[in-house]
Amino acid sequence: MSKPRVGIYGLTSCAGDQLVLLNCEDEILQIVQAVELRSFVMADSQHEEKELDIAFVEGSVAQAHDLEMLQDIRQRSRFLIAIGTCAVWGGIPGVMGRKAAFPPASLSQHVQVDWTIPGCPIEKAELLRAVTSLLHGDLPWNNPTPVCTQCRIKENPCLLQEGKFCAGPLTRGGCDARCPSHGRGCIGCRGPVPEANVVQEFKLLLEHGFSVEELTRRLETFARLSKAGELLQELQSGKERKHVKNIA
Amino acid sequence: MSKILRDQVARVEGHGGIEVEIDGGRVGEVKVHIFEGMRLFEDLLVGRSYEEVTPIVSRICAICSAGHTTTSLLAIEKAFGVEVTPQTKLLRELLFLGQMVESHALHVFALAFPDYLGFSGIIPLAQAQPEMASLGLRVKKLGNTIQTLTGGRAIHPVNAAVGGFGKLPSVEELKELRRELEDILAEMRLAGEFLQKSLTSQEHKHTPEDPGRLYAALVPEGEGFGFFGGTIALSNGDRIPVDEYRKLCQEEKVPHSNAKHSRYHGKSFMVGSLARLNLFGERLKGYEILQGFLDLFPSTDPMANNLAQGVELFYSLIRVEEIVAGLIRDGIRPEKPVAFKPKAGTGTAATEVPRGTLYHSYTFDADGVITRADVVTPTAQNLADMEESVRATCQYLLGKMPEDQILHRLEMVVRAYDPCISCSVHLINKK
Repeated sequence: MSKPRVGIYGLTSCAGDQLVLLNCEDEILQIVQAVELRSFVMADSQHEEKELDIAFVEGSVAQAHDLEMLQDIRQRSRFLIAIGTCAVWGGIPGVMGRKAAFPPASLSQHVQVDWTIPGCPIEKAELLRAVTSLLHGDLPWNNPTPVCTQCRIKENPCLLQEGKFCAGPLTRGGCDARCPSHGRGCIGCRGPVPEANVVQEFKLLLEHGFSVEELTRRLETFARLSKAGELLQELQSGKERKHVKNIA
Repeated sequence: MSKILRDQVARVEGHGGIEVEIDGGRVGEVKVHIFEGMRLFEDLLVGRSYEEVTPIVSRICAICSAGHTTTSLLAIEKAFGVEVTPQTKLLRELLFLGQMVESHALHVFALAFPDYLGFSGIIPLAQAQPEMASLGLRVKKLGNTIQTLTGGRAIHPVNAAVGGFGKLPSVEELKELRRELEDILAEMRLAGEFLQKSLTSQEHKHTPEDPGRLYAALVPEGEGFGFFGGTIALSNGDRIPVDEYRKLCQEEKVPHSNAKHSRYHGKSFMVGSLARLNLFGERLKGYEILQGFLDLFPSTDPMANNLAQGVELFYSLIRVEEIVAGLIRDGIRPEKPVAFKPKAGTGTAATEVPRGTLYHSYTFDADGVITRADVVTPTAQNLADMEESVRATCQYLLGKMPEDQILHRLEMVVRAYDPCISCSVHLINKK
């Protein structure tokens, strides 16, 4: 069986998701032996820009140069995975650049994306799980529950009930509820969870004295969580769940 | 007229390239291109509450996220007049040093070192020299362990807040960290000589010494070395209070870069490990392990920045050991972040992050809402100087070797600055 040909790329970003891969200090040398790594310019000056089985792409499409790069990667890759909230949802640049001449956008606003790994940055465990699944010709798994699920399991006191801002109910879990576990409200960095109850979140926080304006602003720092339903419908309209065959 | 061109410099964070014009054996125009898209951070902050600032500015850069976090907290606290406890100060320094260890280990072992040993990256290096690569990765991991213990995560810390920390590490966790640290320090001591020899080989010295070069770094607090301070020192003897950082960073827009260039009275300057060692290296004289290294400073060879990072890596590990030992001895007090009230005013703070001096300056209204934000990153300050070094190196090597080999050397010079391109393009206002 031949090894899958892999490329790792960054568009406009903080490089945090590529750094998560480099932060797999115990696993990275094993991973690169299990694949044919064709391009990872952040880590290696030798690269071949040819056909790929799997491309991992970080960052938002924030300029013409990014778009050219993305289109080139897309047309020579069988399976394209958006890594990190910038690539999946547009992230902070997507939110702040709405009025820019070239509004920064997520990958799926420009090309077909076959799978997404959200997070700012992505979680090491989720990345390793996705890589393992793909190496076995399987589809990765995305946590379908909100941040609250893991937060409850950890028995953290509920910050929303204390009247503090927390985007946990609207945000896709899988981060081990990291921020609430450190006593800080979730800021929604992983983007929306399916079936998010946006109205209830607003109602609860309005009762605690927040204004609609402040809530909308804070829920739209990384992705437009206040429009969670709409956003997910767009992403899931056939773009996210293309079946994977014979990746390895 | 001919051109030497590299579209994409590899093994750096972000997208940059090199272009040099050669005209009759003379170096003409030199450009370090910055292609990374604009990041528009400061504009997003205006109108937001102080609570929202730190998690947003952290996202300017992953590798420097603990630095952006700490610097923004210091600036906010300065604006509101918040005094944190000695324990908070130590834990913040620990978070900061964790970043220094991770970032320097990544650059020295994985990004720069392969050039000295003739490899294209850490992966081929790991096949040829598994012990060296493995040590590099373990040192890097230790840096991440320190950041996770104090900041709650290796990238974009979640635990450091205005006034203190959300969750405190336990003494047991610190003891576990100390054990890992002792093992790594012992191995680093053994590798020290090899590192020093490799990073100082004359074969890789291709920028002539030039006493006219300018360096800038914060004067470390107290008598020792360190990464925090309130005054900027320049190698020409000038001193500037941090509040007046714009006197040093006189920025200009250049057409070939999405990041602005900084000059001091028209002259480029370098910030980062080499600047810190050139200016304050003598403060490290007490550390026996660093003796052989320190003789090589001051130096104006940009490649010496790699060695300077190696020195700071040792210093940071030793300083972490001191802080951790102290915290274990004194115990961790169950402190909550100190209470405070936002007030109108401006706060400016600077720290020495791995790549140089980082400035954050914010103005708040009486409710703690941002009305003005300014961030100046080390790589933005270094870009003009990087071009100067590329020019000097290229002029020195012209005629001595073929152009493709010169280009490889120029790439090494740019890489030696450890540029963090994401950081450099965080601004919106490029017209």
